[in-house]
Amino acid sequence: MKTVAISILGTTMDRRGKGDKRWDKWRPTISMCQHDDLLIDRLELLFDPKAQTLADQVTADIQRISPETTVVHNHLSFPDPWDFETVYSVLLDFARGYRFRSSTETYLTHITTGTHVAQICLYLLTEAGYLPGQLIQTSPAKRESTVAGHYQIIDLDLSKYDQIASRFQKEHKEGTTYLKGGIETNNAHFNKMIEQLEHVSIRSNEPILITGPTGAGKSKLAQRVYDLRKQRGKLEGKLVSVNCATLRGDNAMSALFGHKKGAFTGATNDRPGLLREADGGLLFLDEVGELGIDEQTMLLRAIEDKRFMPFGSDREVSSNFQLIAGTNQDLIALSQSGDFREDLLARIDLWTYELPSLKDRIEDLEPNIEYELENFSKKSGYLVTFNKAARAKYLQFSHSPAATWSANFRDLNASITRMGTLADGGRITSSVVAEEIERLLRKWKSGASLMNQPRHIIEPFVGAEQCDEMDHYDQIKLSGLITTCQQATSMADAGRKLFNVSRTTKASNNDSHRVRQLLNKYGLNFADLNTKLDAET
Amino acid sequence: MNTVESGISTDVVIDGAQGEGGGQVFRTSLSLAMCLGKSVRIENIRAGRAKPGLLRQHLTCLRAAQTICNAKVIGDDLGSTEVVFVPGTVKAGEYHFQIGSAGSTTLVFQTVLLPLLLADEVSELYLEGGTHNGMSPSYDFIVECFLPVLQSLGCRVETSLEQVGFYPAGGGAWRARIYPMNAASGIDKVDLVTRGGQQAELAMAMSSKIPEHVTQRELTHIQQRCRWSESVLRQRLVKSSGPGNIVSLQVNMGNITEVFECVGERNLSAEKVASRAITQMNRYLRAGVPVGEYLADQLLLPMVLGSGGKFRTLNPSMHLLTNIDVIRMMSRKSITAEKIEEDCWEISVTGNSE
Repeated sequence: MKTVAISILGTTMDRRGKGDKRWDKWRPTISMCQHDDLLIDRLELLFDPKAQTLADQVTADIQRISPETTVVHNHLSFPDPWDFETVYSVLLDFARGYRFRSSTETYLTHITTGTHVAQICLYLLTEAGYLPGQLIQTSPAKRESTVAGHYQIIDLDLSKYDQIASRFQKEHKEGTTYLKGGIETNNAHFNKMIEQLEHVSIRSNEPILITGPTGAGKSKLAQRVYDLRKQRGKLEGKLVSVNCATLRGDNAMSALFGHKKGAFTGATNDRPGLLREADGGLLFLDEVGELGIDEQTMLLRAIEDKRFMPFGSDREVSSNFQLIAGTNQDLIALSQSGDFREDLLARIDLWTYELPSLKDRIEDLEPNIEYELENFSKKSGYLVTFNKAARAKYLQFSHSPAATWSANFRDLNASITRMGTLADGGRITSSVVAEEIERLLRKWKSGASLMNQPRHIIEPFVGAEQCDEMDHYDQIKLSGLITTCQQATSMADAGRKLFNVSRTTKASNNDSHRVRQLLNKYGLNFADLNTKLDAET
Repeated sequence: MNTVESGISTDVVIDGAQGEGGGQVFRTSLSLAMCLGKSVRIENIRAGRAKPGLLRQHLTCLRAAQTICNAKVIGDDLGSTEVVFVPGTVKAGEYHFQIGSAGSTTLVFQTVLLPLLLADEVSELYLEGGTHNGMSPSYDFIVECFLPVLQSLGCRVETSLEQVGFYPAGGGAWRARIYPMNAASGIDKVDLVTRGGQQAELAMAMSSKIPEHVTQRELTHIQQRCRWSESVLRQRLVKSSGPGNIVSLQVNMGNITEVFECVGERNLSAEKVASRAITQMNRYLRAGVPVGEYLADQLLLPMVLGSGGKFRTLNPSMHLLTNIDVIRMMSRKSITAEKIEEDCWEISVTGNSE
């Protein structure tokens, strides 16, 4: 194998005058050919034609001290040797045009000469494989008497370095367990997903979409992505989390994008808005499918241009935020029905991670029980453990079909908290578990029916007394009315949905009027329905 | 590729790590292999050194040896720790060896000299590179000390210096015309047990491209310490590719001329350079032996390949002991080193010629 060195002519360090004093000075390119244990068979010298005289001197000197070395001149023009873009492209062109014969020659790229920019470019080209082989770095001796100095050959193939490789492995592992909250999860699909999310979190600032049922841990995961990015210096600002289901009407616009004082009734002060608060940080929009169309439009512009218009303002403001969106809805279906902007979906649907329900990763239940126990112990200040029989009983139930875990990890968290609180001396016994199983079964059973009960929906608005006097049939009608109004962006919108058949037969429509009349019958008004919801969540 | 899985069986296997464990073992093995026509495998080359295996200077000697005898070589790579050298017939002729600053022309010369003396035609060597680099005996040592002794043994070598080459710029050049030995008479027996009185001395301070006062100070220092007359002081300002300086003290003891040298370095005062050469010379003068340290190294091969003989020298250096070991492994001659008194040893070589 022949050894070929590629070196930029050092127009400063290789230039030590025409006189004989130059032999007393360390000249990096020449020093490379002076070592007793390194033989450069060919030196590819890269230089601007303007430096031809220096190149000739260096070539002659090398031929004298190292007759085995052939020096080849390569003219490269660097109009501005400190401009990264041009230097890189000039060197890239050289590398692409060069005929590397890797089967018979090994290559050393000298990174001691040239501007720092050129050195970085050579490093990058070597790392990217455009310049095959290794790097060589030269340095002068401490005492000037040995002119050759030292050299170091650096192999950029990181996998060859045990220490770096193991450290990288460790950091990578730390990163993924970090995202998993330190829980040793077993579900292969989940683990693989988290592993990729770790890569994406560190390498990309693009939006991330997390889907999955309620309680699957979307906001926890967003928090951890934020922590990981912050730890790795990817962002400096804060984490701003908001559940879009709590944002309605004017409030939604102003909460997200801010408003000017006097923009609407009640806007007594300037409000920066959540997007501005997340400047330089991370914005987590949970239940993003609940955003109104207007807010979606503004959000899309804010993501794409980093600029948006606060409510009631005539001047745009900017905010550079990273975005994570969460949803438990089918956004594709929403976009097909026109309830979610297709272009916004395309923008946030770059990295999509579906968090499985607890049921779907039941093998992770046990490590999560451990995690919750430890958490509870930390908070309560005393160690909480299961006894053996109790643990077996709880696990058996947890895996059984009867355990639906409808609120997923939220259910688990509540369950452990309850058992921990009831555990005398920190010991969870079989009887504590038995009681807890009863409680969980009751909750899931009633939860399932409760959610479908109209009474559950109307009671907050009309009160328990009035509910008691209403027929079930009337309760169903009212709950439908309320739900439709809550999902609508305006009274007219609600009217179009409620009177979708009858309105087509009428000559003139006043949808909002009909809605208002209906609501009045129950002493309700449209705005109340939305505020009530805000206050509750 | 550090080891050679050649499986070729050679006449001799030399452990390159023995003795001084460096280039000397290697060069002596090559010279003897060529002269005796024996194949040799040198293992563990420079084992235990910070950078084990062949360095460029060794590779240069190996290539030169290969050139003059058309040898088969395995393992001639930088860093190689095992070399197999199967010599062919040594061919007299014109040879041009270019040696980089990391090597030395005199070491290459030493490697090929004996084989070419034993060839059947005149050889012309043209050597380019360092001539006075301080890492090996200088051209002046070869010409003033070593070759006159060889001549007294019946060998004829003529040299001419074209240009001095210092480290690091090199650029020196010299020629050597090597006449073949008369096959019938061979190299005479060495007899250097006693030495005569000091008949003449010479102090030479040579420099190129450095201030003149350096050589002047060196000579002044020598004159003061050795009480030598001004007429034996020589200032030689030479033309060379790069800067350099050497002090050379020559003493003629009647039957032999010895040379003691020190090369000037940065951060080393002119006086110190002169002192170092004087220290070596004084030791030699005190010891009363005819053969100095470096000549002893080089006399062994002519004795082994010729009619043997004996000489007295200083306490043997590691190089000398290593040479003795290698010779014992490669030749049938018997070689002894006997201490006569402190700093006086007698080395003798006996036995039939090969």
